[in-house]
Amino acid sequence: MLSSILLEAVAYVGAAIGAGIVAVGAGIGLGKIGGSAMDAMARQPEAISKIQTPMIIIGALVEGVSLIGVVTCLLVVLMK
Amino acid sequence: MKMSSCRHSGFQKLFLILTFFMLLGIPAVAAEPEAESTESKIDISGMIFGHIGDSYEWHFTNIGDTPIAIPLPVILYSKERGEWFTFSSSKVEEEDYQGFYIAEEGDYAGKIVERNASGEEVRPVDISLTKNAVALILNCIILTCIILSCARWYKGKEASTDSPKGFIGLMEMMISMVYNDIVKANIPVHVQRYAPYLLTAFFFIFLNNLIGLIPGSANITGNIAVTCVLAFCTFLMVNLFGNKEYWKEIFWADVPGPLKPIMAVIEFIGLFTKPVALAIRLFANIMAGHAAMLALFGVIFITSSMGALLGGVMTPLSLFFCIFLNLLELLVAFIQAYVFTMLSAVFIGLSQPSHHHAE
Amino acid sequence: MSLLIPDSGLLFWMIISFGVVFVILAKFGWPIITNMVDERKKYIDDSILKAKEANEKLAQIQEESNMLLKQAQEQQSKILAEAMEMRNQIVEKAKTEATVAGQKLLAEAKQQIESEKEDAIRDIRRQVGILSVEIAEKVLRQNLKNDNEQMAMVNRMLDEIMK
Repeated sequence: MLSSILLEAVAYVGAAIGAGIVAVGAGIGLGKIGGSAMDAMARQPEAISKIQTPMIIIGALVEGVSLIGVVTCLLVVLMK
Repeated sequence: MKMSSCRHSGFQKLFLILTFFMLLGIPAVAAEPEAESTESKIDISGMIFGHIGDSYEWHFTNIGDTPIAIPLPVILYSKERGEWFTFSSSKVEEEDYQGFYIAEEGDYAGKIVERNASGEEVRPVDISLTKNAVALILNCIILTCIILSCARWYKGKEASTDSPKGFIGLMEMMISMVYNDIVKANIPVHVQRYAPYLLTAFFFIFLNNLIGLIPGSANITGNIAVTCVLAFCTFLMVNLFGNKEYWKEIFWADVPGPLKPIMAVIEFIGLFTKPVALAIRLFANIMAGHAAMLALFGVIFITSSMGALLGGVMTPLSLFFCIFLNLLELLVAFIQAYVFTMLSAVFIGLSQPSHHHAE
Repeated sequence: MSLLIPDSGLLFWMIISFGVVFVILAKFGWPIITNMVDERKKYIDDSILKAKEANEKLAQIQEESNMLLKQAQEQQSKILAEAMEMRNQIVEKAKTEATVAGQKLLAEAKQQIESEKEDAIRDIRRQVGILSVEIAEKVLRQNLKNDNEQMAMVNRMLDEIMK
């Protein structure tokens, strides 16, 4: 009984920590993309439209990875 | 320097005040009798999952104890009995109806189930018009009306006469944005073949995202079934019309000999992970946005049940965050539609490698 | 858990409704709008091109007219210069003619004056001769009233000659 409660608690804690790490990873990734894109845009304002599309695509890819992490965390919580 | 220290002290002050009020609130919680608190306990996760999930009736709110809800039709095919059943959802909401009832727990929690001969819970084939299905159909009708009304405006008009104004002008701006910046920019050939799908996908997602933000409406694009279908359509669009170079790049990539089978496996898996990532991205973004907003709303009720003072302090704060999050979700509604369409267009564009590129 | 597993019923409705919307819009919605967008884009591009051409033509016309104006001005100034030159020539010619004529007149006048002067001098000389002879006659008549004086005179004269 106690062990099952403990296990569930550990699962919750794991999911929460996982979600936090996912947020950190996504933050770093998106920050790097955004930062370099800003740099590039500031350096070449005429190429903004050319930079924007790949920036959004790569941002979406990073976000996709992080969202898969989030969904995994959600699975941990929901699959008791 | 002085400014920042000032602001810092301001934050500190705010934090101190908040902590103070929280400390004030704790005795109030502690003082409440146990029985009362369990009775009036607020089921936040139930509320959140009720809102972002699906249900057989369209439930808006409760006034007192009477729920304000629209019952929706339930359509079932029972494999056990081999016949179709159609009835109003209000009949199964409280009790059994013709052997069907809504499962409380287990694998099918919240779904209509029946018992088979051996007494196990089994799921009938369920194509009920649930809340999400009805909202989906309504939104589809709205979308069709909007686009057809735009198209009707253009009928019998020459490009040289005049350009649309007002709402149709706005729609044209968005359509040409999607058409030029997403479709044409990423797909080199056969634009006319893919443009209708991508435009439909963009406006479908965008409209459903926006309507999903209206309180009381259904969370459609935050539902995995919907995003799965959309992603599957993209998968079909990419792979049905992929040309020879595309398949060659997948199964016989331009890499040194021993790597070829490995790359083929990776590329083959990539075929499926791309649409799956598309589906999960859209679903998780919208679902997470709704969940976060509902959780912030939930804070209001939790804190006010913990004490009037704490509730009074936290309500404006969480309201502020809710408004902020709502505005953010407006942005996300557009960005996700844009990203889904953009990635679909990129994948489609990759399935049409040009001859020059391949050489 | 139900969140992450697609519900078959909703899947069914989604396929049907999205399919219907897609077919309807792909048939009656998008082609009209995208064609129009394309056409308008083309029209605008054409118009811009035409406007550019018209502008160029206008500029050319302006340049031509400017050139014409310039040519006209040049011609005008040339004509003016020619006229000026001609005038100058005429004036010059007139002047030289006038001087020549004047000199001629002057020379003639001079000659006339000279000859008249000579005439006058000759006249005066004759007159002076006549007068001096008369005076000498008178002086002699007066001085040679007696013999002594005549003798003295003769002597003096002789002396003078002798000297």
